[in-house]
Amino acid sequence: MSPPLRAALMVTCLGDMFYPEVGVKIVRLLRRLGVAVEFPSGQTCCGLPLFNSGYHREAAAIARRTVALFRDSEHVVVPSGSCAWMVKHEYPGLVGEPGARREAEALARRTHELSQFLVNVLGRTRFRSETPGRITYHDSCHLLRGLHEASAPRTLLGHLEGAEFVELPGSDECCGFGGSFAVRLPEVSTAVLDKKLANAEASGAGCLVACDAGCLMQIRGGLARRGSRLRALHLAEILGGDV
Amino acid sequence: MTTRAEFFARIRTEMRKTSGLFAARAAERPRDASRLVETVRRELAERWPQTIERFRVEFERVGGVFHRVTHVAAVPGLVAAIARERSLRTVVAWHPTALGTDLGGPLAREGLDVRAMPWGPVEDAERQGFRTIVANADLGLTGADLAVAETGSIVLRSGPGRPRSTSLLPACHVAVFDRTRLVESLAQVGVFLEAWHEGPSAFGANVSIITGPSRTADIELTLTRGVHGPKEVHAVFVDEEIGG
Amino acid sequence: MREMATSFRDRAGHALRDGFLQEALTIATTKFKELRREAFEDFPEGEALRDRAREIKEATLQRLDHHLERLVESVERVGGHAHYATTSEEARRIILDIARRTGARMAVKSKSMATEEIHLNEALAEAGVTPVETDLGEYIIQLAHERPSHIIAPAIHKTKGQVAELFARELRRQVAADPEALTRIARDELREKFLRADLGITGANFAVAETGTVVLVTNEGNGRMVTSLPRVHVAVMGLEKVVPSLTDLMVFLAILAKSATGQKLSVYTTLIQGPRRAGELEGPEEFHLVLLDNGRIGQLAGPLRESLYCLRCGACLNVCPVYRQIGGHAYGHTYPGPIGILLTAMQHGIGSVKDLAHASSLCGACADACPVRIDIPKMLIELRREIDERRIAPWPERLVFALFARVVGSHVLYRLAVPIARLLQRPLVRRGTIRRLPLGFGAWTRTRDLPPVASRTFRERWRELERE
Repeated sequence: MSPPLRAALMVTCLGDMFYPEVGVKIVRLLRRLGVAVEFPSGQTCCGLPLFNSGYHREAAAIARRTVALFRDSEHVVVPSGSCAWMVKHEYPGLVGEPGARREAEALARRTHELSQFLVNVLGRTRFRSETPGRITYHDSCHLLRGLHEASAPRTLLGHLEGAEFVELPGSDECCGFGGSFAVRLPEVSTAVLDKKLANAEASGAGCLVACDAGCLMQIRGGLARRGSRLRALHLAEILGGDV
Repeated sequence: MTTRAEFFARIRTEMRKTSGLFAARAAERPRDASRLVETVRRELAERWPQTIERFRVEFERVGGVFHRVTHVAAVPGLVAAIARERSLRTVVAWHPTALGTDLGGPLAREGLDVRAMPWGPVEDAERQGFRTIVANADLGLTGADLAVAETGSIVLRSGPGRPRSTSLLPACHVAVFDRTRLVESLAQVGVFLEAWHEGPSAFGANVSIITGPSRTADIELTLTRGVHGPKEVHAVFVDEEIGG
Repeated sequence: MREMATSFRDRAGHALRDGFLQEALTIATTKFKELRREAFEDFPEGEALRDRAREIKEATLQRLDHHLERLVESVERVGGHAHYATTSEEARRIILDIARRTGARMAVKSKSMATEEIHLNEALAEAGVTPVETDLGEYIIQLAHERPSHIIAPAIHKTKGQVAELFARELRRQVAADPEALTRIARDELREKFLRADLGITGANFAVAETGTVVLVTNEGNGRMVTSLPRVHVAVMGLEKVVPSLTDLMVFLAILAKSATGQKLSVYTTLIQGPRRAGELEGPEEFHLVLLDNGRIGQLAGPLRESLYCLRCGACLNVCPVYRQIGGHAYGHTYPGPIGILLTAMQHGIGSVKDLAHASSLCGACADACPVRIDIPKMLIELRREIDERRIAPWPERLVFALFARVVGSHVLYRLAVPIARLLQRPLVRRGTIRRLPLGFGAWTRTRDLPPVASRTFRERWRELERE
């Protein structure tokens, strides 16, 4: 019998501090699927907020730090498309000298956003839904356009037993988070969010699923303020036992 | 004021600082476009029934009105019918040499007031006169140098006997052509354009690719036709070859 | 410009509160977006052509001097004249000189963003040459003394009611608020101008180096009028518009109109090769091509080089979540939307975009829609980097990011930050959520709830999770 697959969880700074239950669910889910889960302590943030705002020297330092922390991981699983994108797309160019670059490229190859890991690496697509009824999905920008991933989440959500998946109109439109954008231009960010929430309400779904903590923070923040009955969940929160 | 030398010196200075973003090549031009045009014509000669059908579909899609007649002799009657239906009377037309046939007499016999555009050079004083005539005309009659099936477009070269305004100022534009003008694609149009620019030309300085009647959606995105150019464009396809 | 006295954020807020504008923007951008999507869905060769178009743009820049020299030779060979303008001011002077020399009293203009960029109309008017915009959208905003709010549909921010009022006031023509009737009025008014004008001014969508051909892509017919009826034609062209050959041109024509409006081709694709030839009844006696630098040369080796591929189709505007909310005027510069931020930086320097560089959530929809695949988000991040390195960003912001960098750079500081955050948030958390942040931090909480830092972070739970 071959040794179990090893995966290190990169829980992300938002995940660690604001949505720890998502991390917990992922650990339990992966273990149920036979994956040995590791958690390199000392991880903090992938550096995307620094990178996006132009603080590249600082972002590079964080990148080098992160590459070192995950050096020995067989796979790295990330619950946010934006952080996965940062590692896979920007780290190699950011870290500096050629040796570090090679390591960053190796890390990029071993890093996967959660839905990609489940579908493409583990080949698992069928799960029971933790929430019955109609569900819909918001494509987070970095997962969709950065990592070119539209199908893995839909495969998982489409096969959910006990739930009915419907497409969200304008699913590929930004939710308005954009990191610091949400507080630099809060009025525009909110107007964009309003469009997203209107589409979500119109879809008739009881639950909106996303694969990014930033999107969830924005969407949940708006839903709560409006007292909406619509729930916004991370993918990990809706995947129950496998079928 | 910046001189040519200064302008290019600055460009070259900046260009020297970089090798660009990625390996890239421009399009490959046909080496002998005129020869290639003949090849294209030969290939298209067999497919013309399908090509004209495709042209019709695309032409109508962009709001053109398509007509088909068997013989050139039927053209004046058709143009007259178009004019009558719209209460139009005055027609300006390309010179017969440009059209490939003389429709002036037959059109006049249909009761239309027809002026053919001049062939030879024109004095400045006369130029203004012609402009007034065309500006006041109801219908402009032209040929077509190319009819493009992919997009439903008509390509017109300017020149002696075929001024630009004929297809521009009157509210109704009618273009008459036969199978020898048909091409299938924009790529083929490119080959023709290359060929037309090879060597000296008797034609004018302007080529217009016309795809439907003039339009705008600038006010609340509501489509309206006939903004500055013609409100209607008609294509008359003649089965027999014009000018025999 | 009136707009510049206010901050970008204020102008954006103003736009958000304008009900008419919000509706007009939603309708227009949604329509354009849909049309573009349908056009490319129906067009399997489209992706390959986009790659080719991008490649041709890059290849052209790699031999830009050669192609521009060839263009100038070709233009001169067919009897035209080339002029070189390093700045907007120079471009204006060149055109005014031509106008003066040829005794022009009135100039009809076909839509040209390049002439907007150099602020030509005011200069013409001051010099006693009446500029008349003939593109319907441009005509409308000229009467309204406004600037275009979209690259290809300059007046989409106006309702038909507003246009009718405008025509009544400026033209003294009473007419119903009906687009057909309004268009007919514009046609009448402008037809007379076309026939009388001494000077025709256009931009250039492309200029073919091999043959000296200037290409105009229009729908109304004004491009043809302006370049056939007046005695003199002046084309103002950003120098990046040059393409090597007619064969290259066809690649761009195949995708430009589709990207802009979903049409296979615009109604009029006009190829102009110099002044009229012997034996031609019509056409200008003189043809002038003004090559415009205005910051472009400076980016050939700069971080914004890729924005020189731009075809000015407007596709990025139609998909941008920011543009779709605030429209073009809020940007405060000639070119709005995602590409507009880059062009503004190119033309006016990094200081001009210290706010605009952040007018983006970096969603990437623009790069996706761009026919030549310009990586706009990447260059926006580059601008932000320059703003940071040049210390143009305000110091409180730099402090916050410096602090953040320190904290996430050290697991000790990070671990320490968590209980500190929990302490600070205690008075703010009600029923498991934060609804108000004090002082200046309310930007988020004014419209959205904020989750509190968890009572136990994931890292704090890992010890027991590990043992499960």
